[in-house]
Amino acid sequence: MTWTDRYLAAVLRSIPASKRADVERELRSSITDAIDERVGAGEDPTSAERAVLEGLGDPAKLAAGYTGRPTYLISPELLPLWWRYLTRVLFVAVPLAAVVIGGLEFIGSGAQSWAIGAAINVAIQTTFWLTAFFVFLDWAAPARQARAEIVAAAGKWTLERLPKVSDGRITVGETAGEIVTVLITIGILVFAATLTTTTESGEAVPLLAPGFKTVWLPILVVTIAIRGIDHARAYLAGRWTRWLAVYHALVHTAFGLLLVTLALSGWIVNPAFGEAIGLPGLADGHGPVMLTLAVGTILATGWEVVRIFLRVRRRDDAAPRLDASTQSV
Amino acid sequence: MPDDELLGTHRQELRRGTVVVACLLALREPGYGYGLLKTLESAGIASDGNTVYPLLRRLEERGLLESEWNTDDSRPRKFYRTTKAGKELATQLLADVSDLTKSLRSLNGRS
Repeated sequence: MTWTDRYLAAVLRSIPASKRADVERELRSSITDAIDERVGAGEDPTSAERAVLEGLGDPAKLAAGYTGRPTYLISPELLPLWWRYLTRVLFVAVPLAAVVIGGLEFIGSGAQSWAIGAAINVAIQTTFWLTAFFVFLDWAAPARQARAEIVAAAGKWTLERLPKVSDGRITVGETAGEIVTVLITIGILVFAATLTTTTESGEAVPLLAPGFKTVWLPILVVTIAIRGIDHARAYLAGRWTRWLAVYHALVHTAFGLLLVTLALSGWIVNPAFGEAIGLPGLADGHGPVMLTLAVGTILATGWEVVRIFLRVRRRDDAAPRLDASTQSV
Repeated sequence: MPDDELLGTHRQELRRGTVVVACLLALREPGYGYGLLKTLESAGIASDGNTVYPLLRRLEERGLLESEWNTDDSRPRKFYRTTKAGKELATQLLADVSDLTKSLRSLNGRS
């Protein structure tokens, strides 16, 4: 078995069987021609063979040239489509999985929260299968028709696909939405403070721990109210200024840290309440409910801070451009 | 002078399309793989076997070349010849290449 034989075998491996014999015969004669010429010029046959084969390069690339098959996993034509579907599906599937699994655990009152694990698992599975589907579309001959139709249907790029550019100006609707959210949150907290259940002996047991209700609850309500005021100030100023954003981020982070600490310490819910309704793990700082609350708070706080700073930056980016365009008109 | 790597990349891009024209023009006289490589080389068109050999097959599949095995010699060789459609395409592309050269020259002269 010569180097040439091994090289040809490597090339032919990924070439359709029907063409294999012909490609081999032709490529072998081309290789032999090239070696013969080098040998005719006085080169040693062994080094001539090596030089010719190495000159032809990686057999996988050569084979890709013959079959017209791409050397990438997903073709550039399908890549944007793959990305669009992947982000959309993940955006829905991952939080859904976390909420569903978390909810089931809450009902079953499991000792440990698997909601985050489930969300990560769903993210990995979704990414794998969606990618596998696109690779199949690209590579499988029977899928060629489907691929053409999908590309034709989704691939046509129109102006409407351009992302929206915001000048950072805050609308009335947006501000109203924020303030309503703040009021609802305060409402829920106040409502929770009034919730009680009765034990078998007829004693009323409040949902919230007594210390939480008297000390921490008012502090939380105040920080939430400050959040609403920040949004109102931003609206009046027309935009989020850098300082307002920093101040807002600090208040928000303080609120988040406080809530997370309280949740993980098990200081929010009255332990007697959990026992009375048959969910002894409810108040536990390491129980599923408090862990979910803590993680949810971290995510929500992080998102709020990032969101506001993105607005500030977008405004900074947009401002000079808009000024320039008004001057030139 | 731009560095060699940059020059190499851009040269390769510039030449990519011209190899097709060169093959179609050269194969108006029947030729085989390695022989064609030599013809292109002596005409000053640098190209590699790993580009040209697969290209010949693809051009044949599109009906721009036709092929025939010649077993008269001691070594059987596959000879390719440009078809009528291939010749027409080559003529058109050749005209495009000279138009492009002309346009680039006039751009160059303007500055």
